[in-house]
Parts: sequence; structure tokens; C-alpha cells
Amino acid sequence: MTTNETREIEARDKEVLMSEDPRTGVVFRPDVDILEEPDAFVIHADMPGASEESVDIQLEKGLLTLHARLAETPSNARTLYAEYRDGSYYREFRLSEDIDATAVSARMKDGVLELRLPKSVSRKPRRIEVQAA
Amino acid sequence: MVRRIDPFGDLPGPDSKEDDALATYTLTRPSALNPWLGLFGDLRRDPSLRPPFHPQDGVFQGTRGVYPLVNLHESEEGYVLTAELAGVAPDNIHVSIEGSTVTLTGERKIEYPADKGTAVHRRERQSGSFRRAFELPAEIDLEHAKATHKNGILTLTLPKSPAAKPRQITIETR
Repeated sequence: MTTNETREIEARDKEVLMSEDPRTGVVFRPDVDILEEPDAFVIHADMPGASEESVDIQLEKGLLTLHARLAETPSNARTLYAEYRDGSYYREFRLSEDIDATAVSARMKDGVLELRLPKSVSRKPRRIEVQAA
Repeated sequence: MVRRIDPFGDLPGPDSKEDDALATYTLTRPSALNPWLGLFGDLRRDPSLRPPFHPQDGVFQGTRGVYPLVNLHESEEGYVLTAELAGVAPDNIHVSIEGSTVTLTGERKIEYPADKGTAVHRRERQSGSFRRAFELPAEIDLEHAKATHKNGILTLTLPKSPAAKPRQITIETR
């Protein structure tokens, strides 16, 4: 490997929250990245196969839940080999009350959910102007 | 006199050549004994991960240490290979097909602004380059092979080449 080649991606297991339950199927825990910007928290969650329609996001009493149902594989074909299977994604986060729940925004791109959680106005640093007497 | 033995002395370190060898996956031809042995032959990693196909057990095979994860389906027309590639733009995925071998390479890029105002609290999503090659049991019709990408899933539709499809032979009667 030459030194200027990109580092190879480190492959990890898909984390299973709940093994097969005939009613719900397999539930996976999506990998997330959590960033904090000055004005907001940003969460990126890997949910390949999920679309804007299949993702359900709830924020109630400081508990943020992400839930997505994967599309079913076409059944006219015979499955020869499977490394991943149908199921749902689920993950929950406990947030501090400093999030402005009414201003949360979300978008899906290429199976990645990007959640933007703006901080409540009171938490942002405010500059106090000093008036001349 | 007591001689100290380094318990970790024998293990390959992070600079060992073995890690370089694991960067690509080997192909093997389908074996006559087990036709699926060559399907995702991966000689350099744990051989116990190689899946024999037992229809009665279900087809799911958990796999460690591979990216991206793929599923393979077969219909009369050909094969459908799907790969989970969340967050990878189609521009960063390359598919090449030769005969019955399909090679998937690319890079998953994840970049966050490095300015002082941004802190990364949690980093679980992996980024980097990937390369996997698969040997399918039949030759692919290159002209009609298609690739689509939706919601982070890459779907390769791989019709079998006409030579590989079973042909009905009419029995002539006199």
C-alpha cells in the first residue's frame, strides 16, 4: 500500500438490538455520529434502505427516538446468500432540555439520516452590550 | 535467574504485513464439492465464516469484517446483488465485471468541519476505502448489466450471458 492511498474502511458488525421476533423482525442499532456546533447538535445515523417516508422521529420529554423500517426484498428471486437482512432500525437518545424541540429538522440522503437539533435560545451565548452611562 | 517472556511478543503488530494482505479479498473458483464455496471465498480471513448454503437453515450468514455487506439473489434471468452503502455517493462507487467476476470498489467519505466551534461527541460511523470481489456461478451478460442506487443501497442487476442460460432441447420425432 502506498502512503498516499486512502485508509481502508474498518468493517464492523451491524449491531442487533432485538433478535428475530415474528411480529417485528430484526431490529438494528444504527451507527451514529454526534456533533455539537455552537447553535445546534447534529446527529448523523446510518440507515441504509430507509427513505424519508419510512423514518419516524419522535421527541418527547427529552427522549429522542429514531425508527425506520427497511424495504422488503423482492420475493420473486431466490436468495442465495445474505450478509444483511430485512428489519428495522431503532435508537434512542436522552437529550437535555436545552433543545428547541419545535425547530428540529431532519433529512435523509443515501440512507443517512441527518438530524439538526437547535439549542434553545437561552443556551446560546449572548453578547451583552454595554451602554454608556 | 528468572527470564521474563513478553506475552505479546508473538502477535503481529499494527505494522505487520498481514494487515496489507487483508486489504483485498481473494477469489476462488467454485469447488465441485460445494458449489457455493467459491461464491464469496475469502481465504485470508477466518475460514469458518465461509457460508455453505443450507436452504433449511435459512440463508442469513452473519459476517464479520467485511464492507460493504451484500446479499445475492437469483432469478431465471440472472443475479441481483445488493450492497449496503449508506452515505456513499454513486460517484464514489466503482463496479467492474469480467466474465463471472464482479468487483466493487470505492470510498466512503465522512468529513466534519474542523473549525473551533464544532465538537465531535461521538464517532461510530466508519469511513475509508473498500474493495470486494465476488465470483458468481455463471457468466454475466455485460451488455445488459445494470446498477442502480437508492437510499444507500446499490443494486446490481446481472443477467446471465445467453451461453450460461439453460436451453430447452426439443426432441425430434421421426
